[in-house]
Amino acid sequence: MSNLMVDKVATLWPEMVMLAGAVACLMTGLSSQASRRRTVVWIAAATLVIAGIIAAAGTAQATSGVGLAGMAKFIKVAVAAVGLLLLMLNTSSTSQEGVALMRDTPELGGEFFAFFLCSLTGVMLTAGADDLVWLFLALELTSLPTYVMVAMGRQKLEARESAVKYFFLGAMSAALFLYGFALLYGAAGSTQLADIHQYALDNPHDGLLMFGLVLAVVGICFKIAAVPMHFYAADVYQGAASPVTAFLAFVPKSAGFLALLLMLGIVGWPLPQPIAWLIAAIAVATMTVGNVLGLVQSNVKRVLAYSSIAHSGYMLLGVLIGPPGSAPGSGNSATSAIGNGVAAVLFYLLAYGFSTIAAFAVLACLRVENDEAQTYNDLAGLMQRRPALAAVMVVAALSLLGLPPMVGFLGKIYLFGSALTQGYVVLVVIAVLNSAISAGYYLPIAASCIFSKPMRDVQTIEAPGRQAGAVLAAILAVVLGFGGGKLVSSANDAGRVVKQKHADKVSQVDQEKQFTSQ
Amino acid sequence: MAVETLKFLPWIPLLGAVLCAICCTSPALRRLAGAICVLSVASALALALGVYFGPQSQAALSGTTVHALRWIDVHSFSAGFSYYIDGLTMIMLFVVTGIGALIALYATGYMKGDRGYARFFFGVCLFIFAMTTLVMADSLVLLYLGWEGVGLCSYLLIGYYYDKPFAVEAAKKAFIVNRIGDLGFALGIFLTWTTFDTVSLHEAIEKARHILEHGGEITTAMQCIPFLLMAGAFGKSAQFPLYVWLPDAMAGPTPVSALIHAATMVTSGVFMIARLIPIFELSTYALPVVAIIGTFTALLAATIALTNNDLKGVFAYSTVSQLGYMFLGVGVLSTTGGIFHLFTHAFFKALLFLTAGSVMHALAGQLDIRTMGGLRKRMPVTCWLMFAGCLALAGVPPFSGFVSKDMILHDALARGLHGEPLFFVLAIAGLFTALLTAYYTFRLWFRVFMGPERFEMGEEHGHDEHAAHDEHASGGHGPHEMPWWPMNLPLVVLAIGAIAAGILAEYVGGEHGWMHTMIEHSTASVEHEFHGELFGLSLHSVMVVLSLLIAALGIGTAAYLHWLRRDAAGVLEQKFAPLVKLLVNKYYVDELYDLAIVRPLRGCGKFFNLIDDYLIQGFLVQIVGGWGPRLVGYVLKPSQSGRLQSYGVGMAVGVVIVMVILIFKLTGN
Repeated sequence: MSNLMVDKVATLWPEMVMLAGAVACLMTGLSSQASRRRTVVWIAAATLVIAGIIAAAGTAQATSGVGLAGMAKFIKVAVAAVGLLLLMLNTSSTSQEGVALMRDTPELGGEFFAFFLCSLTGVMLTAGADDLVWLFLALELTSLPTYVMVAMGRQKLEARESAVKYFFLGAMSAALFLYGFALLYGAAGSTQLADIHQYALDNPHDGLLMFGLVLAVVGICFKIAAVPMHFYAADVYQGAASPVTAFLAFVPKSAGFLALLLMLGIVGWPLPQPIAWLIAAIAVATMTVGNVLGLVQSNVKRVLAYSSIAHSGYMLLGVLIGPPGSAPGSGNSATSAIGNGVAAVLFYLLAYGFSTIAAFAVLACLRVENDEAQTYNDLAGLMQRRPALAAVMVVAALSLLGLPPMVGFLGKIYLFGSALTQGYVVLVVIAVLNSAISAGYYLPIAASCIFSKPMRDVQTIEAPGRQAGAVLAAILAVVLGFGGGKLVSSANDAGRVVKQKHADKVSQVDQEKQFTSQ
Repeated sequence: MAVETLKFLPWIPLLGAVLCAICCTSPALRRLAGAICVLSVASALALALGVYFGPQSQAALSGTTVHALRWIDVHSFSAGFSYYIDGLTMIMLFVVTGIGALIALYATGYMKGDRGYARFFFGVCLFIFAMTTLVMADSLVLLYLGWEGVGLCSYLLIGYYYDKPFAVEAAKKAFIVNRIGDLGFALGIFLTWTTFDTVSLHEAIEKARHILEHGGEITTAMQCIPFLLMAGAFGKSAQFPLYVWLPDAMAGPTPVSALIHAATMVTSGVFMIARLIPIFELSTYALPVVAIIGTFTALLAATIALTNNDLKGVFAYSTVSQLGYMFLGVGVLSTTGGIFHLFTHAFFKALLFLTAGSVMHALAGQLDIRTMGGLRKRMPVTCWLMFAGCLALAGVPPFSGFVSKDMILHDALARGLHGEPLFFVLAIAGLFTALLTAYYTFRLWFRVFMGPERFEMGEEHGHDEHAAHDEHASGGHGPHEMPWWPMNLPLVVLAIGAIAAGILAEYVGGEHGWMHTMIEHSTASVEHEFHGELFGLSLHSVMVVLSLLIAALGIGTAAYLHWLRRDAAGVLEQKFAPLVKLLVNKYYVDELYDLAIVRPLRGCGKFFNLIDDYLIQGFLVQIVGGWGPRLVGYVLKPSQSGRLQSYGVGMAVGVVIVMVILIFKLTGN
């Protein structure tokens, strides 16, 4: 027992570093000297770098059967890297004018960055979860700091309103999936995912287990902003400060997808028919609702919120497909990343992350009349004023749309291609039609940047961190689109470890069941 | 130099192209473009020569594959930047880079002061890159890349004077007509892939050879491949019925006409057939069809050239005609003859075009030969350089054009005498075409350089900066000779080639001559002996005598009608007025195409445009695509009320729905 604990703790060095960094940020933030307080950003950055290096140096531990232990390394490194990018967005202006422009944005203190690091730690812990309690705590560790970050990031009534909405609805969803966890525990008699998995293999048609699982899945849908838990997204994204919105668009979503993969790993792929049907229905509803609502918006932040919903819908396709080798007759999938749904989701998370962070970063650099830039009109003619930022915005919009050579295209190839190899033709057709609809709001973003005449008096904040973050994210979105091969293959390796040992047995039981029912 | 180094060859001109493109950006750099282009092409030539004379020349000649880059590698299909080096490749490399370097050098003088100077050399460098890729390609896909690349450069350079409507029209015409042929070529490549399971040239050729030698089933698909490839060759090499673009392509600057539309690109069709000759042999009818089309085109174009009054136009039709000879050569399995003629033609036709360019340059763009006469005193060097080229084109022994054309006709005649009457007829038609060639070539030369001196300056007022310091463009002084450097000197080299290249390649180097040895060591080699006798003499001697007679007759007629008794030409013209009218109007082929193809297609286009406007754009895009999703969006919009309570209710309702469905699914099972 104690040995097991030691082994377990040994995999958690990155998380421990992150938490230590969070504490250090808190302490430094309390300092009476302003110059010392300003070092918190650097402490947070150093923490992320160290955690990333430790995670990269660590070996992938394979725990008991289920769990994402194999993926954990990939995810921890990715979280640390994207965390750095997000940190750049959250730096404030260095010049007096910039500070004056950002009157509604307080100087972010140590506590903000402590929450920032805690939330990222939550994602890392989610990746390593092998127990329901652990998973619940990890998910809440991801989410709770974000509620506060939304409220703190912007001194405006809207931000407070968003934070309250986000908190209440988040609590409701947490209640839902906690209820689901309880039912799972009730059915299987254990909180260990491995045990529940074994139970599910032995009793593939246990109603209680199914109920628990579905409740948990629906509850987790809140984290990824999927139907029917998507209502909050637009309001919260709009109310929060743009850098925080970028955080919301990536961090809780990643945790949510990891949790979904863990949950569905209980029954294994190919998913039992009702669950598969449910996921497919949620995917279709999510992408459609996100896209059609995005179409009728004039506020770019809200548009990007709906786009976030739609992208969750696409990624659910990958969740539906699962790891390779789980479907009979997919002989090619062991060697190719296409066919590996988990790898596709992991890669797409990063692809979507870089693109959307680039978009929010541009918004975070612009100010209109003492407020954030957030309408199409605010972006109009950006090309004439700030060509670099306009280029970043165009790259982001086209990448989100999935146009080659941006990374979004590659991500969609892997997602939709994997779905095709598993025979989900109808779903892919719907997804592609949805991508076409999404052009209806991504292209106007790009077009208003390039072709429109400047309409409003837009000012740029001199915040080197934010601008560098914007450019870096855009460069990554293009470079990975050309040379994402390495990342894809590491995502593929990561995704393959989740492979279900007993998948064959499940289908065998299914077949027997069908046979006897005949 | 090791044969491996050849893999860098195409990339040197590409680097040159990139540098030239950079030069386009600033007026200060612009003048460097010419030197960059010449240097890059010349270094490519040096590389080719280095390999040829290097220690591994045997490897370079016996067929080596050199891998440079991976490109497409999917499952069992792979096409990379891998090059196949053999005798044929080396010949083509010498032609492309050698002639290319000389023409580029000439162009640095010819294009001087033009505002698109750097753009021009960018096009030339890019062209050399594509053309060397084409001739070196081992994979048919890579060959196609080069093929389309030269097509693109041709389009760009024909349309070089993009502010002139006729140049733009000509560029479009060239591009579109080539599309027709290239469609066939692409289909041919696809069919090769499905039939031979490879797009690698040497593997496909080996498989075809194996079938030919050891007997194997020749499927219908295999017999179709040559005809599809042929379409591509006829498009690119301007053969009937796809030749119409080449005469119009003269709208480009003259060095471009010389390089792309005479010496190199237009010969790539001949090169391709020679390269793939075993595949063409799979079909009984493919090569005879090539020979027939070639001969017919040669004759057709030669007759049109008889009455053409455009300085470059005559040479354009003569190019079409000479390409026909080359196709006749490969068509009768005389690949050596075909490639040989390609080789010599590159010299003398480039020379002719460039000297024509000099005349045109001196006369400020004047092209109508009826306005010219007696220019030999004003431009003596150009006059005699062109004379050398004319002798070669007219097929006067022992000039280079004679040697290669003779080989083709000899081989055709030999096969004709061996019980293949078709080839006998073709050989006779070829001989008759040679008569026409001698006549129209010297008609032009006598008109321009002999007789009483007369000239009219053209419309073109020189190039922008040129006009200020160049006296000939400002009028008053009339035409004068081009400077030796950088214009006339490269022409001298070409003239030496036009005079002696044939003899040297036929009799020096190897038992059967250099050309024969090179071709024998390539995929174009054929096991076919051509011998024959006529009137008790060896066929070879007969051909020499016949050629001399024909050339003398043609040149004599031309001298009588266009130098000594110019009035007689007018009388003759009136006598055969209807025929002359037909020829002057080029058999109304353009008009026929316009009526039979262009207009119906345009009608179709208008009809489909209506469908596009109303059905696709109006109904599907505007209503279904535009309003449908938006409508759903507006319907769903109230659900995003911003009220916390309704969001909570919404989520709860969603969960309930999911649960109800789940119960239904679980119990309904």
